Amino acid sequence: MRYLLPCVYAFAACAAFSIAFNMRGKSLVFASLGGAIGWLAYLLCAPVQNDILQFFFATMAISVYSEIMARVRREPVTGYLLVALLPMVPGGGIYYTMEYCIVGNTEMFLETGLHTLGIAGALAMGILLVSSLVRLWHIIRMTRKNA
Amino acid sequence: MNDNDLINTATEVGYMLLANGAEIYRVEESMQRIFRAYSVEGGEIFAIPTCIYATVSTADGRPITKIKRCHARCTNMDKVEKVNDLCRRVCRERPDFCVIRAELRRIDARPTYTFLEQVMAFSLVAFAFTLFYGGTFSDAVCSVVCGAVIKVVAHQMDRFHANSFFTNILASGAGALVALVAVHYNFGLNSDKIIIGALMNLVPGIAITSFMRDLIAGDLIAGLIRFTESFLVATAIAIGAGAALTVTRAIWGV
Repeated sequence: MRYLLPCVYAFAACAAFSIAFNMRGKSLVFASLGGAIGWLAYLLCAPVQNDILQFFFATMAISVYSEIMARVRREPVTGYLLVALLPMVPGGGIYYTMEYCIVGNTEMFLETGLHTLGIAGALAMGILLVSSLVRLWHIIRMTRKNA
Repeated sequence: MNDNDLINTATEVGYMLLANGAEIYRVEESMQRIFRAYSVEGGEIFAIPTCIYATVSTADGRPITKIKRCHARCTNMDKVEKVNDLCRRVCRERPDFCVIRAELRRIDARPTYTFLEQVMAFSLVAFAFTLFYGGTFSDAVCSVVCGAVIKVVAHQMDRFHANSFFTNILASGAGALVALVAVHYNFGLNSDKIIIGALMNLVPGIAITSFMRDLIAGDLIAGLIRFTESFLVATAIAIGAGAALTVTRAIWGV
């Protein structure tokens, strides 16, 4: 239950966002499933005790899932990544940063702001690592085939 | 084969991808592949989120350049998917250019969800994200209203062609105001969870991470443009929600 409910919420949120992105049919379901898988990975990585690392691993899980789905279903990887990453977006971080700014708590404002930036960086690095590796693998396979 | 037709058609394909939210490398690669499919080597393409430049050389060495500005971008994965399919088909079958154009027009006319369905989608996003961020069920129900308000405000502002910065300020302000009023009259419990959940509608998810991807992938200018864009959106959301917070605190003195 501790794992199930948040993942169900993540799935519902992603499904609703897919509608806003005009996705249809099966790709809507599979893309939203990516969001749930990503959040499950995040929760399962809790023992590392560092939420930036957790976000990094969860993003890698999402990227791997998206690259696989894009190849299996012969669709661009864009939509899968876009939707599945949404639960990771540090919406809370942005909000609390703003709130500390208004209240005038400069110390917490800087701390929360930098932490939020760190999360965004972890997300970007996670996607980047996987997509770079996939490209590398693709190029190696191509050169082997040609040789 | 006509070079003018080739560059016009390829730019149309690239524009459709860019305007519907495809990545920069996808736009550039798709156009490059179309050029190669019609055996034009050495075509040059430079795409940024606001513009596409493409140049090919004719057989007698004359360069032809096309510039296409992209003023409004949205996220429509359905169209990206279909244009991507079209690209694969073009590379495989090399159809006539008028066939490609007809296909593009057909894709452009594909249906989108109706306004009511989109309002419901926004509400559901707000509902699910409020629960996801740890709000109670009554918070989530308040959030449904906030999500709908945000969509309606954003839609109305779009009809008046307001710029997106102003639209985001108003939409986030309206959403946050509804949430704060709801909490003040005890419909909801945690105003922060409601507001965060509802405002996720405006945070263009990937915008925050995509600028880093573009930057690290080497599309430096595209990355800077997206950074500016996401920074502006985040600032607008913060200003709107911040204004609502300040006003309600001034009135009710929390």
